Amino acid sequence: MTSNAYDAIIIGGGHNGLVAAAYLARAGKKVVVLERRHLVGGAAVTEEIFPGYQFSEFSYVVSLLRPEIIRELELPRHGLKILPLPSTFTPMENGDYLGLWEDHDLTRQEIYRHSPKDAEAYHEYARVMARLAKAVKPLLSLVPPDPSSLSPRDLIGLFKLGKYGVGLKEKELYLIAKLMTQSSADLLEEWFETDALKGTKAASGIIGTFLGPRSPGTAYVLLHHYMGEIDGAFRAWGFAKGGSGGVSGAIASAASALGAEIRVNASVSQVLVKGGRAVGVALENGDELHSKVVLSAADPKRSFLGFVEPKYFPDEFVTSIQNFRVRGSSGKVNIALSELPQFTALPDETAVQRGAVSISPSIDYIERAYDDAKYGKVSKHPYIDIIFPSMIDPDMAPPGGHVMSCFVQYAPYDIEGGWDEAKRDQLGEAVISTIEGYAPNLRRAIVGMQVITPKDIENIAGITGGNIFHGELLLHQIFFLRPTPQWADFRTPLKGYYFGASGAHPGGGVMGAAGMLAAKEILKDWR
Amino acid sequence: MNKYDAIVIGAGHNGLVAAAYLAKAKKKVLVLEKRSIVGGSVVTEEFGEGFQADAVWTGGTLRHDIIKHLNLALPAPLGKPPFISLLSDSDQLVLDADPLKAAESIKRFSARDAERWSEFVAFMDRAAAFLDLVYATLMPRLPKRFSLDEGFGLAEMALELRLMGRKDMFNIIRLLPMTAVEFLEEWFESEQLKAALASVAIHGVTLGVLSAGTGYSLLHNWLNRGGPAHINVGKAGEITKALANAVNSYGGEILLNAEVQKIAIQDLRAMGVVLTNEQEFNAPVILSAVDPKRTFISLVGPIELPPEFVWHTQSIKMRGSVAKVHLLTNGDHGIPEGTVVLAPSIRYLEQAYDAAKYGEVSEKPYLEITTSGKVVSIHIQFAPYALKHGTWDMERETLEKLVLNTMHPYFPNLKSSITGLKSITPLDLEQTYSLTEGDLNHGQLMLDQFLFMRPIPGWSNHKTPIDGLCLCGSGVHGGGGVSGAAGRNVMKVLN
Repeated sequence: MTSNAYDAIIIGGGHNGLVAAAYLARAGKKVVVLERRHLVGGAAVTEEIFPGYQFSEFSYVVSLLRPEIIRELELPRHGLKILPLPSTFTPMENGDYLGLWEDHDLTRQEIYRHSPKDAEAYHEYARVMARLAKAVKPLLSLVPPDPSSLSPRDLIGLFKLGKYGVGLKEKELYLIAKLMTQSSADLLEEWFETDALKGTKAASGIIGTFLGPRSPGTAYVLLHHYMGEIDGAFRAWGFAKGGSGGVSGAIASAASALGAEIRVNASVSQVLVKGGRAVGVALENGDELHSKVVLSAADPKRSFLGFVEPKYFPDEFVTSIQNFRVRGSSGKVNIALSELPQFTALPDETAVQRGAVSISPSIDYIERAYDDAKYGKVSKHPYIDIIFPSMIDPDMAPPGGHVMSCFVQYAPYDIEGGWDEAKRDQLGEAVISTIEGYAPNLRRAIVGMQVITPKDIENIAGITGGNIFHGELLLHQIFFLRPTPQWADFRTPLKGYYFGASGAHPGGGVMGAAGMLAAKEILKDWR
Repeated sequence: MNKYDAIVIGAGHNGLVAAAYLAKAKKKVLVLEKRSIVGGSVVTEEFGEGFQADAVWTGGTLRHDIIKHLNLALPAPLGKPPFISLLSDSDQLVLDADPLKAAESIKRFSARDAERWSEFVAFMDRAAAFLDLVYATLMPRLPKRFSLDEGFGLAEMALELRLMGRKDMFNIIRLLPMTAVEFLEEWFESEQLKAALASVAIHGVTLGVLSAGTGYSLLHNWLNRGGPAHINVGKAGEITKALANAVNSYGGEILLNAEVQKIAIQDLRAMGVVLTNEQEFNAPVILSAVDPKRTFISLVGPIELPPEFVWHTQSIKMRGSVAKVHLLTNGDHGIPEGTVVLAPSIRYLEQAYDAAKYGEVSEKPYLEITTSGKVVSIHIQFAPYALKHGTWDMERETLEKLVLNTMHPYFPNLKSSITGLKSITPLDLEQTYSLTEGDLNHGQLMLDQFLFMRPIPGWSNHKTPIDGLCLCGSGVHGGGGVSGAAGRNVMKVLN
């Protein structure tokens, strides 16, 4: 062995890569994380794009980060601080608004204003969803067993899964089965009649997918987003102090403190294979690093079609990775502001800007936004999820200024004619003009604006297809099918090569579960 | 006098299958049919002098084991005419039942696709055979309350799936929740071929080819037809006529013009039925072949049922968006024999669906055209039951014009050959054929209404909260299409 031999090399310094590194280092292993960019974080980074204005460039909220990771890696000690994002405000096309406030009773009163029937249903809905999210949660920390395998490991996994299923109440099982297969529109229409309420709730069912709210399968995505909302009152959707880079920073600091080495500006060109085993990586600058195992925290396409020559994998595996769906459907518009936009529906009420503002007046509105995108166009009137990070963490903007983060969907990766400057401007303009309809002072308040297209997500964050989950959370791409059948246990057909990022179980969001589970599987194999 | 062992509501194919099995087992059975003819939506009707058409369902066959058990005198299918996709006034994709001939036609669009065609058909046939087994299996309530017998059925199903081999097993599991287009993209590159096959997925379903879960409806329809094209079974009404004869020959009774108004219930037990003419019939067992919404909301009544059950029943997605136009011509319609579809591109199909989402009729609809001599039958999608503007009585003429104008470029002689016309709107499907909201399958073919969730979660085994009342129509597991599985499966819970 040469002097630069490691126990494990981790490709990619996103949050999953860093979590994996921390867990391996914690077990006393010699680990190095190789990050292509000049800073760690992957899609969870904070960057100063305009002087004094800090943007969470891509991912912008936290809630799904696994509590055991926070605890075991002592992230608060390393600077992780999550500030609550207490409310959601939905301005309506008729000039009214719907406010879902921090206070449950206030929210019910507000919904009552729109529909007494919905106010009544809301309480029950929240209860059912919370219960279901809780029921599904154990699956997040389970290594998916391969139902076609007879190996003891998989049989034990299947047994555990069976035990879990039998442990559910009959009613829960049905509701879960329904949620997994339903459309979010159908789910919500069973409960509510207020358009703005249905639209706002349905929106979390489309995030990161290339489906409309009326397509089956979107209710599951909605549930996926619900899982963060319930873990104790203070762990509702929140915003990390210092932006999303604050999350990555805390994990990186924990990993370093545990002894992991982190190298930036270290772009991996390929995984080195010797005798049918991954034995290290070659960097773009020609350096070679050696190790017992390599863990890729990049997306499945780059992990299996980019870093490794296809000849090391069975054809069937390569085909199924090629078939893995990574259709990017969303973009981001980050704006530096000289003043806060005032929403005409409820002006002079800063509670609005302290929470999220959702442009989702109805399910049809979002469905029509999807209609544009499926034919290769940016939505003329997109769904937009807005937050004002500087209202929660004043350090994000210079005194008097503000930053505004707009998540926008749909912006298809495969746009007609390909992405160019004009299309990027068009996306920015769609966002500005849509929000301007509800907050007329927005345009004059803009100091600087960064528009991120799915193509940019691919180029900057290195995610193929620009899909924020490294691959859509579709029913045929989750659990034992993620990223591909038989290989959902973080191992790959190439010995010594592991896979642990959002493209693996349990999927996307700043969750860290895939990195943690992959690290634990590596440690198991070493036992 | 009016006392029977069992009463079956509705003389559609499923009701008749159930009645025939009961009669064969020496039970005293009465079938009550609202209309003056049997058949339900598997019916050949007279719309005028020399104008006979399969009003709702075209093609499709009963399960072979049913034909055998009941000794049905059904003529053998008349052959397997091709599936023809119209691409322009002069260009077509022809998928012949012979895979080699089909590949010839596909070759013009993609040599690679032509090579994969046989393999694709073989996979679909294997997958359809598995779905057929699933439909024949009684679906117990999950997770705990099922009998040994039911558990055995499930285990057999799982074993069968595993025995298909790893590759098929995963491919079938993946196929069901996919969009039809995603699935087809894994096989083919030619837009024309993908669109033609994707149209099979949305047939009878209010979803677009880009909606998740249309992989399942593609497989369902493939099974129901035995391929992309309908088998030529002659007249669909012959199936239900043969079933009615079987019922009679085994000693069962069929009463026509007998519309059930309500199911009589006492202490949560079904006692009998009351007709609209106030005639009463009693039996300890009532089988409803009517769709679940109509059964529970209209015939039983919400007052007799647990509130949550009523809520689930009201949430069953029916939402039909199919209309039919039948034409009598002088014979010079110019339409080839086979299953002819207007589905030239994925975008065309998806745009047709877009209209339905907002309660509008597609400007450029997906059409499926079949002919029987001088008669031309056209299946139109999307024509949503719930129109945003206007009513179906007002829109009938617009629909008829739309169909004729859409077909004109492809068949210029058609218009002048027409001597008679009969259109069936979604409202007609509901009123005449008792299909609530015009849904051909008594509930949309969607994954959240599949297996143990059909018709509603927890009630997939034909039983209902009312003792003695069972479902045996298309709305329950096994149903959808013409197979008769639902009508047969109910026998397993009756002993």
